[in-house]
Amino acid sequence: MPNIVIFSGSSHHDLSQKVADRLGLELGKVVTKKFSNQETCVEIGESVRGEDVYIVQSGCGEINDNLMELLIMINACKIASSYRVTAVIPCFPYARQDKKDKGTRVPNVPFLSQNVNHYELGNVYPSCRSEPKQPPALPWHESNWKAAVQEGKGRAPISAKLVANMLSVAGADHIITMDLHASQIQGFFDIAVDNLYAEPAVIQWIKENIPEWKNGIIVSPDAGGAKRVTSIADRLNVEFALIHKERKKANEVDRMVLVGDVKDRVAILVDDMADTCGTVCHAADKLLSAGATKVYAILTHGIFSGPAISRINNAAFEAVVVTNTIPQEEKMKQCPKIQVIDISMILAEAIRRTHNGESVSYLFSHVPL
Amino acid sequence: MSRSKEVSEDLRKTVIDAHQSRKGYKTICKDLGLHQSTVRQIVYKWRKFKTTVTLPRSGRPTKISPRTNRKIIKEVTKNPRVISKDLQATLALAIVSVHDYQKKTEEEDVYDSTTEPRAELYQPSVARIKTDTAMNAQKGGLVIFTANSNPSCMALAKRISERLGVVLGKVQVYQEANRETRVQIQESVRGKDVFIIQTVSKDVNTAIMEFLIMVYACKTSCARSIIGVIPYFPYSKQCKMRKRGSIVSKLVASMMCKAGLNHLITMDLHQKEIQGFFNIPVDNLRASPFLLQYIQEEVSVTKMFQQTFIKQAEAAHNTAQNRKHETADREDNDYLNCRLNNSGFRAQSFAERLRLGIAVIHGEAQDAESDLVDGRHSPPTVKNVGAIHPSLDIPFVIPKEKPPITVVGDVGGRIAIIVDDIIDDVDSFLAAADTLKERGAYKIYVMATHGILSCDAPRLIEESAINEVVVTNTIPHEIQKLQCPKIKTVDISMILSEAIRRIHNGESMSYLFRNIGVDD
Repeated sequence: MPNIVIFSGSSHHDLSQKVADRLGLELGKVVTKKFSNQETCVEIGESVRGEDVYIVQSGCGEINDNLMELLIMINACKIASSYRVTAVIPCFPYARQDKKDKGTRVPNVPFLSQNVNHYELGNVYPSCRSEPKQPPALPWHESNWKAAVQEGKGRAPISAKLVANMLSVAGADHIITMDLHASQIQGFFDIAVDNLYAEPAVIQWIKENIPEWKNGIIVSPDAGGAKRVTSIADRLNVEFALIHKERKKANEVDRMVLVGDVKDRVAILVDDMADTCGTVCHAADKLLSAGATKVYAILTHGIFSGPAISRINNAAFEAVVVTNTIPQEEKMKQCPKIQVIDISMILAEAIRRTHNGESVSYLFSHVPL
Repeated sequence: MSRSKEVSEDLRKTVIDAHQSRKGYKTICKDLGLHQSTVRQIVYKWRKFKTTVTLPRSGRPTKISPRTNRKIIKEVTKNPRVISKDLQATLALAIVSVHDYQKKTEEEDVYDSTTEPRAELYQPSVARIKTDTAMNAQKGGLVIFTANSNPSCMALAKRISERLGVVLGKVQVYQEANRETRVQIQESVRGKDVFIIQTVSKDVNTAIMEFLIMVYACKTSCARSIIGVIPYFPYSKQCKMRKRGSIVSKLVASMMCKAGLNHLITMDLHQKEIQGFFNIPVDNLRASPFLLQYIQEEVSVTKMFQQTFIKQAEAAHNTAQNRKHETADREDNDYLNCRLNNSGFRAQSFAERLRLGIAVIHGEAQDAESDLVDGRHSPPTVKNVGAIHPSLDIPFVIPKEKPPITVVGDVGGRIAIIVDDIIDDVDSFLAAADTLKERGAYKIYVMATHGILSCDAPRLIEESAINEVVVTNTIPHEIQKLQCPKIKTVDISMILSEAIRRIHNGESMSYLFRNIGVDD
């Protein structure tokens, strides 16, 4: 009968420790270091022969280094004759490069649910693609990537598929991840993928920490997240609204249109990830100018790269809530508005149920204690 | 029986006259000196067609004369995309209709459908010609990309492209704000041979990811074949299974093959067995001709006889980085070869080609590594006797002890050249150089193919007794050169560009390996 062995990568040791504590286990001994030529070296410190191995590594920080480390660890466990190797990747890397788009972000046609009859439809425009600009003549430098993305003539790979291939080649038998950017990524794998939802934890947090939640309104900062927002709104039995935007340049928002009424209510913005926080901050401004009393932002993956922290500090949020799929201690010191929802119990419960062969669907609607 | 000249018409007439005057076939044959079947055939034809004239062959007569035919072929070969109107204009002599010479070119079997452009498909008159050249820019060509985002890493790729006379392909490789790599190819690679040159420097993992993403991008953009040029192959030192580690070279090889790579060119692999990790062809080029040339030109061959040294680099190198090493047995070190040691073979081949002597450096600094043994290696080392059951008669194996560094061979008053493939952590080299200096070597050179030179290696080299460190430009080391002027570079872009050219043209690569010994 195989036992559970949990190894932690170097990206988020804290989360792995919490998961192990909830399961009543010790983290497995593993030594990860880098040689002087920056090559990663992984050595497993205990026997994994015939055991059920879970490797917890999140796609954050130095993504390429963490990804290589994860692959090397999976491979090491595989050739050390483990029974099964499962990769627990709370924040899946390269999830946004999941289609062969040409770089210009085309806004989706807004998803209209049944409730929309109550709202005005006059402001909903069909999406129009902006013309690509000339290619920048400067050498390809990091600061030019924004200009470069506009050009829209690139042949971009589907990096998420590449990552899926790499995980399979390394020898993973099972993947557990949380709130994939697009659930189609599950189809890139030939092995089983469990896409857990942070939604129950988010709902629990809203009920506990926002006093006026019954009078609140859930808002999606872009049209693509409408599905997520409607399911939360249905669970809480509150109304929802939607912000539709047109982008001329990537990460620079052009015009935002609010679909719904937020006057004198508490607005709760819900999205899956916040990278440079351009969208979310603009949305907050729009909501406040439309009459909302307070604005909360709840995001599953808080990447917060680049100017994100300064933007949040300047914007008028009541609180920015993220889960701990990505380590947040540093960011919390820089920005007091950030609060963290702990999702280690969801991961721990998923690990336990996968190991025992029980159903995981309980986790899609409830938060384990 | 070959066809002989046909019978002249006069003779045929004579035959018929003779036949009409009721002469027998045998008589006619004898008289005129023909074969009897010839006579019979002439008579038969006369009976059928009532004439002895040579009749034309069956079939519709050709509208174009052979001369015009040849002219058309010549015009179209010169310019395969000529339109019929232009062709008509140039061939003022023959007035041909559209269908005729289309059929002519069909008959002449000079098809090539890939040169036909889409827009002219509905014009029934585009000539199709089979093109014969190897490096046809229209059909498929050569594109060279570099998947590095670091400008210092792109220097080698620029040199190679200059030598080949090809412009580097336009691609954007950059890191996003959240440190994800993004690759966008700006030109078409459909149907072309794509060569991706990747230099692996400080950020090894990022370089690997950039390369893999680039390969996959080319594969999903329908490139004909994708050839990777990675002069220094990363993770080549982690190619053995150590305790519960991973064989990372195998993992990297599998990932590259899965991403869509068709062929790999690399240089001086740390272990040749890494070629077996791939299921695609791998070309392991050698930098030794360049290093040898440097030695012959730069290191002054004085009246004194020189010696080259084998470095038991692997032993020292490995312990410095805390790995399990495989060392030669004691008795082998007394000879000139270290059987299990890579550098031994390399130095020997250098010495043969330069006609110099060899010495061996043996032993390394004392290092406590025995507590990391886990019994996977044979013979197993036993830490404490009490753990073994007394009834089992397992012989007690004494763990090997390593002596301090010694040099086997006479180095007094000679120039010492230390040869290795990778120079990264220089502690072992420094120790060897000190020992050589003590034994009387008057100049010390270090030749290595891949100069990683990490941490404060330049400073240590500057302060040491080494005279010169010669590395190739497979890994960019401009910063290290600024810190330490003893570091010299040998350019190997020539052999890489030659390899690229030969692979694209489908020519043999054996010329590049002509002087390489079997051990190098």
